[in-house]
Amino acid sequence: MKRREAAITALVLVLSVVLAWAFWNAFSGPTGDRLAELTATRVPESGVTNPVTAVLLNFRAYDTLLELAVLLAAILGIWAVGKASPGFLPAGAVLRALVGLIVPLLIIAGGYMLWVGGHAPGGAFQAGALLGAAGVTLRLAGYPAAGLPPEALLRVTIGLGVLIFTLCGVALMALGYGFLTYPLDLAKWLILVIETAATLSIGATLAAAYLGGRADPTDSGDGVTR
Amino acid sequence: MIDWLALSVALPLLGAVATVALPRFAVPLGLAAALPTVWAALMVMVLVADQGVQVSALGGWGAPLGILLRADGLAAALLGMANLVALAVSLYAPGYFRGSVLEARFWPLWMLLWAALNGLFLAGDLFNLYVTLELLGLAAAGLGALTGQRAAVEANLRYLLVGLLGSMTYLLGVSLIYTALGTLDLEQAARELRAGPVAWVSFALMTGGLILKSALFPMHFWLPPAHANAPAPVSAALSALVVKAAFYLVLRLWLELFGPVVGASAALLLGLLGAAAVIWGAWRALRAERLKLLAAYSTVAQLGYLFLFFPLLAELPAGTARTELLGAAVLLALTHGFAKASLFLCAGLLQKAAGHDRIDELSAATQALPVVTLGVALAGVALIGLPPSGTFTAKWMLLTAAIDLGQWPWVPVIMAGTLLAAAYVFRVLGHAFASAPRHGDAPPIDPRGCPGANAIGLALQLPGLMLALVAVLALGMTAEPLWDLLASTTDPSEAAP
Repeated sequence: MKRREAAITALVLVLSVVLAWAFWNAFSGPTGDRLAELTATRVPESGVTNPVTAVLLNFRAYDTLLELAVLLAAILGIWAVGKASPGFLPAGAVLRALVGLIVPLLIIAGGYMLWVGGHAPGGAFQAGALLGAAGVTLRLAGYPAAGLPPEALLRVTIGLGVLIFTLCGVALMALGYGFLTYPLDLAKWLILVIETAATLSIGATLAAAYLGGRADPTDSGDGVTR
Repeated sequence: MIDWLALSVALPLLGAVATVALPRFAVPLGLAAALPTVWAALMVMVLVADQGVQVSALGGWGAPLGILLRADGLAAALLGMANLVALAVSLYAPGYFRGSVLEARFWPLWMLLWAALNGLFLAGDLFNLYVTLELLGLAAAGLGALTGQRAAVEANLRYLLVGLLGSMTYLLGVSLIYTALGTLDLEQAARELRAGPVAWVSFALMTGGLILKSALFPMHFWLPPAHANAPAPVSAALSALVVKAAFYLVLRLWLELFGPVVGASAALLLGLLGAAAVIWGAWRALRAERLKLLAAYSTVAQLGYLFLFFPLLAELPAGTARTELLGAAVLLALTHGFAKASLFLCAGLLQKAAGHDRIDELSAATQALPVVTLGVALAGVALIGLPPSGTFTAKWMLLTAAIDLGQWPWVPVIMAGTLLAAAYVFRVLGHAFASAPRHGDAPPIDPRGCPGANAIGLALQLPGLMLALVAVLALGMTAEPLWDLLASTTDPSEAAP
C-alpha cells in the first residue's frame, strides 16, 4: 500500500506542476478584453444593477435556464432510485419552539435575498438555498414532509423555474425580441418574475433532495418492466 | 420571428416540465412535445442546407458577453440524426413501458436528455457546452437507473461519477482557455488560441474529459453495464446518441480549436486508442452472452472507428480530400446512431418476448417475431458495414484514405474489426434459423411456445425497423446530400490556407 500511495502522490504532484505551469502561462500571457470590464460597462442595459444578477439572468440567462434544468434532472434522478427514507422522531418541545422561530425567519430572509439580488449580492439561488434550509430544518425536527406541499403541487413547484423561464423566452421570441431578449423597460420585472419562480423551484428541489427519494406512498417501488 | 435553434431546446424543456407536473398524462404530453421538437430540429437542418451557418444571439448580446447558438453543417447533420432517432424512441417507449410505473417516470428525464442533446449540438460557447454536458450526463444516469434494480443503479452511479469526472476535467480546460483568452465563445477562442502550454494542457484536459464520456478505450469500462442494464428505449438513446454527443464535441473542438495548434501526435494517440477499441470492443461483443451486452460492446468498437479518422484528418491539408473524409466520419457516426438505436429497440422486444436476452436461448423469440429479427439483421448489416449501408461507404473511404496516405497499419485493424462484427452479428442471426436445440437435453424450439411475443403489436416493432432501414438504405444509397450539408461546416483550416 505504501508504494501505491507514493505512486499516486508522485502522479498528483506531476499533474499539479503541469497545471500550475499552464495557468501561469495563461495569466502572464497577453490577453484580450476581460469579460468583467465589458460586463461592468453593459450592466445599465440589463435592468438590474448587481453585475452577478445581470450575468446570470440576462447576459447568460440561457446558461441559468439549463442549470435549473440540471436541478430538475437531479431531483428526478433521485426519485428514480427509490423511495424516501422514513422520517425522524418528532422533536422535543424546546427544538419545536426553536424551529417555529427559525423557519419563518428563513423564509423571510429568503424573500429578502430574492429582492435584494437586483442591486446587491443575493438572488434566486441564495434565496432558494435558504428555503431549502428551512425544509431541512423542518425535516430534522421530525416533520416527515419537510414542509413540502403534497405531491401534485410539489411536481408543479419543482418545474416552475424552468417553465416560467422558458415561457418568457418563447414569448419574447414570439413578440419579435428574440429568445430571452428582454426589452429594457420590462427587464427588471421579467427578471424578478423568473427569479421568484426559480427561488420556489430551487427551495423545493433542495428540500425534496434532502428527503432522498420519491414520496408517493402508493408506489411499490419494485419498478418491474412488463 | 421564429428562432428554430432556440426552439429545438425550449420545446423539450417545456415537455419535461409538463410531464413532471402531470404524470398521468405523461405519454400524450410527451408526444405532443416530441413532434414539434423534431420539426424544429429538421427546420434547423433545412435552413443550414439552404442558407449556410445559422447563428442565434440569445438575449441579443452577442459574443463574448452573451451566448451564441450556432448551427453549421456538422451540427445540423448530427441534430437531424439525433432527433429522428429520438422520435423513434418516443414512439416506441409508450408501448414498451405500457402498464408499468415507468411509463410516467420515463418522460421527464427523456425530454431533459433530449433538450441537452439539442443544446449540445447547437452550442457555440465553451461554458454553455459544459452546462449541456452536465444536463446530458445527469439525465442519462437517471434514465439508466429508472428501473431501480440493483445492477442498474450500481452501473449508473458509476456512470454518473465517471461523467462528473469527465465534465469537471472539461471545465478545468475551459477555465484555462478563459483565463488566457478572456472569451468563452468557441469561434473567438479559435481565432486567438496559439500553440503553447495553454493550448496543449487545455486540449489534454478537455479532450481527456470528453474521451471519458465517449467511452473510448480504455475509458470504456463504465459503458457496457450501464447500457446493458437500462430499459431498451433508454439503452438506445444512451448508446446511439449520448456517447455520440461526446464524440461530436471531441471532433468539433479538434476541428475548430485544437487541430491547428496541437499537432499530429495527439491525433495519432486518439487513432491508436480507437484501434484498440475496435478490436477489444468487437472481441468482447463476440464473447457476450446477453444480446444487450453484445450491443453495448459493439458501441465501444464502433466508437473506435470514429477515432481512427483523427490521424488521417490531421495528415490531410485543407481541401476536397479532407472534406470528403470528414463527411465519411460523420456518415459513420450517423449510420451507427440509427443502427445501434434500432438494435437496442429490437433487442428490447426480443427480451420482452423471451423474458430474458441470453443469446443462446433466443431462437424461439426471433422466430416468433420475424419483423423484429429483420430489424436486427438490417441493423447488423449496418454494424458490419456491408453494402449498401452508410457504414460501407464510410469504411471504404476510411480504408482508401489510410492507403492513400501511407498509414496502412490502420487497414488490418479495420478489416479485423469488420470480421469480428460479422461474427457477432451472425452469431445472433444464426438462432433465427435454428430448428434444433443446441444441446440434446434442451427443449425443442417452438415459436408458438413464446407467449410474450403475442403481446407485441406491429406498432411497437416498426420504429426499430424504420431506423434500421434508414441506416442501411437511406444513408447508404442517398448519402450525397450529407456532403453538401457539411460544406458549411466551420473548419478554420480551410479559411486560412
